[in-house]
Amino acid sequence: MTEPSTAPEAVKKVSAPPPAAIDHGHDDHGHEAHDPIHAANPHLAHHFDTPQQQFDAGKLGIWLFLLTEVLFFAGLFCAYTVYRAMHPEVFVYAHYFLDTKLGALNTCVLLISSLTAAWAVRNAQLAEKRALMLNIVITIACACTFMCVKYVEYSHKFHDGLLPGKNFQPKEQIWELKSFRDRHPEAAEYAEKLSKLDEKKAAPAAPAAAGKAEPAKVEKLERPTEEELEPLLAAGLVGPRSLDPSAHISRPRMAHVFFGIYFFMTGLHGFHVLIGIGIWIWMLVKASKNQFGANYFGPVDFTALYWHLVDLIWIYLFPLLYLIH
Amino acid sequence: MSDDKPEADKPAAAAEAAHEHDHDHADHDHDHADHDHSHGGHAHGEATAHADGHDHGLAHTTPVWLLFGILGALLVLTVATVSVTSIDLGAQGNLVVAMIIATVKAALVCTFFMHLLWDKKFHAVLFLTSVLFLILFLAMTTNDRGEYQHLVDEYRAQQLQAK
Repeated sequence: MTEPSTAPEAVKKVSAPPPAAIDHGHDDHGHEAHDPIHAANPHLAHHFDTPQQQFDAGKLGIWLFLLTEVLFFAGLFCAYTVYRAMHPEVFVYAHYFLDTKLGALNTCVLLISSLTAAWAVRNAQLAEKRALMLNIVITIACACTFMCVKYVEYSHKFHDGLLPGKNFQPKEQIWELKSFRDRHPEAAEYAEKLSKLDEKKAAPAAPAAAGKAEPAKVEKLERPTEEELEPLLAAGLVGPRSLDPSAHISRPRMAHVFFGIYFFMTGLHGFHVLIGIGIWIWMLVKASKNQFGANYFGPVDFTALYWHLVDLIWIYLFPLLYLIH
Repeated sequence: MSDDKPEADKPAAAAEAAHEHDHDHADHDHDHADHDHSHGGHAHGEATAHADGHDHGLAHTTPVWLLFGILGALLVLTVATVSVTSIDLGAQGNLVVAMIIATVKAALVCTFFMHLLWDKKFHAVLFLTSVLFLILFLAMTTNDRGEYQHLVDEYRAQQLQAK
């Protein structure tokens, strides 16, 4: 605490009547002189009467902002809902490309940063400068870890051609992915046989290959078991929902739109994390100047509230994007 | 920094310990500054709120053990939501379970990390209003989309036949 030693006395006279005289209907408008409070509270803006009033106004403001943030993200959640209702197979197909472990790691990192953010508020309230700065630094470190993991994920997707719209050119088929093979080994094997058959079927188009291709066409796969077929049907790889229903196996139509939604939702969220890092650095600077204490911790509290909202959105994004059954 | 409360002249850390005996003071002070009669009754004056933490200055101070407890619960729920994915719970079962777990996690974050338990109830109402409108938005859109599903299906069938 940095207050001048005489300050509390001045405040006491003006804003806190002795306990015996407390009147519940009493309010602050009666005070004619505001200067003693403002003199005692260097961070009390001139248009506020008391630190409590300033804090309450800020708190209402940040909650209104969080409300608009929820509605802001609502648009993307709505796009997700409509698209998933229309093309459930695309979500099953695309989620094999996402790394659940990295998603879970990022969830834990954000949860830990939420703890340190909430703890930082407590530190600010109690004017524990060292602990406050430490908690803010840990929060920023967690946020940076989150962004690094996101960078790893994004660069993998860029590399593998998992981009929205026209740029969606996956380099690997999902039955070649470890995430698919581990869960559905029989289906992966069957899909591989099917795709080889498709290749042979396509071969006769090349001149002089017609004779050789003939036996391939005759070659028939055994009737697939339900275990083999079910994951492929669910992912829209076979059946009417695939890109080319005349082929044995091909990726689902509209698969590219998933990555549009994925990049928009995680991208907007990541952008919020970046802004959060910036605000936390600002808070760290303010904390280093010894500005926070029992009467002025609003900025830390409001930053933490924003940070918790970013965490809240990730709490929903993680199961919606990574944990599709 | 100074405090507008009588105990403000004590150092902050010591004041925290002393608060146990000064709760009445703190409550009156809040009423005084909030221009609100009923406010202290449910937001700051609640015995349960004071059993766990202390009112310090302008708002409730969350005890550290509670923060760690909530983090522990959140991490356990994260493990639960990941591991439940490997169990087949029917067509929409897994999505429903995942959303229930996510909502419990969100509720924990809102109630404790975001101080809504001890905060003015108006803030909780504000936030829940936005959630209400989010649900309305999603529900109406989903409903409307469902109404037109048969047209989409017919169009697709036509396209497949054309091929």
